[in-house]
Amino acid sequence: MHELSIAQNVIDIVSEQCTRSGHTKIDSVNLRIGRASGIMPDALIFAFDAIKSDSIARDAVMNIEEIPVSGLCNDCAKSFIVQEEYILYCPLCNGSSFQITAGRELDIIDMEVS
Amino acid sequence: MNVKVVTRILEANERIARENRRLFDNAALYVINLMSGPGAGKTSILEKTLSLNTGLRIGVIEGDIAGSDDAERIEKHGAPVVQINTGGACHLDANMIYEVLQDLPLQDLDLLFIENVGNLVCPAEFKVGEDIKVMVLSLAEGHDKPLKYPLMFQESSALLLNKIDLAPYLDVDINKIKKDALSLNPNLKIFEVSCKTGEGLSAWTDWLKEKALRS
Repeated sequence: MHELSIAQNVIDIVSEQCTRSGHTKIDSVNLRIGRASGIMPDALIFAFDAIKSDSIARDAVMNIEEIPVSGLCNDCAKSFIVQEEYILYCPLCNGSSFQITAGRELDIIDMEVS
Repeated sequence: MNVKVVTRILEANERIARENRRLFDNAALYVINLMSGPGAGKTSILEKTLSLNTGLRIGVIEGDIAGSDDAERIEKHGAPVVQINTGGACHLDANMIYEVLQDLPLQDLDLLFIENVGNLVCPAEFKVGEDIKVMVLSLAEGHDKPLKYPLMFQESSALLLNKIDLAPYLDVDINKIKKDALSLNPNLKIFEVSCKTGEGLSAWTDWLKEKALRS
C-alpha cells in the first residue's frame, strides 16, 4: 500500500551508495522481497519507474527476487517452505507452534553502476 | 560494475525508531503504538482510559491524514497531546514521531500513546520506537478480519474488541475472532470492551497500569 515511499527509500539509498562509490549512473537495482512483507513487487516497480526520472537512477531497471515464506516447526522440528503469504498451522504436522524464518525481507542486495 | 548494497530498505526508519526508543528510555516512559482500522474506536478508548482514574500520567500523539478533531477530544481530558497530519501517508513512521517529541513533556509522563492512522495494514509494518503495539477491532467490522489482515494481529501484544455492546444486533462470531487471532498470535491478550457502557475497561486499565509501571 505504501510502495511509493518504499520506492523513494530505495532511490535514496542506492543514489547515496552510487555517489559514494565514485559513479554517476545506476543501471539496475536488485532487491529481495519476502512474500509476507506486505509489498507487491509489480506496484513497487511501477512506483520506482514513476519517480526515478529526477535521480541518478533514471535509467535503472529494478529487479525483484521474491522470497517465499519459510518456517521451523517447534512441534515436529522440521523446516518448511510454503507458497501462501501467511500460515496458521505447520503444513507438515498441523502444529500451531512454529517460527517464521524467512518471507518478511525488504532488502536491497546490489546494483550495477557505471 | 557491481556494487554490493545489502541494506534493509527500512533501515533509515529503524535507525530513527531506535533513537526514539533511547529518548523514551531516558524518560522512563512506556510507549504504546495504538492501531486499528478507521472508526474502530481508538480515540474513544483513549478518552475512556484518560477519564478512568489510573494514576498514570498519560500523553498522546494523534496521527491522522488530516484534521485535528482527535487532538481536540484528547485535550478536553487535560492530557498533553500533539497532532500529526501525515498529509496522505497511510501510517506514522519513526521520523514523524521524532519531530514532535520535543513538544511533549516526556520526563513528566508514565505512558505515551501513539494513535496511528486508521488503517489495518500499513501501521503494523513501521516501528516508531514503541514498547508494544496494541490494536482495536470493533465488532461491526466482522469476524473475518484476523485472517484477512494477519500482520497487525501477529504484531500486537493486546487486542481490544470494542463495541461489544453491539453483539446482540450483529451476526458476528466473537469466538471466531478470538480463535483466529490466537492462532495468529498465541500470546495475544484480548479484552472485550465497550466505550459506550464501560464494560471491560477496568480490566484493560489494570493491565495497562501493570505494563506501564513495570517499565
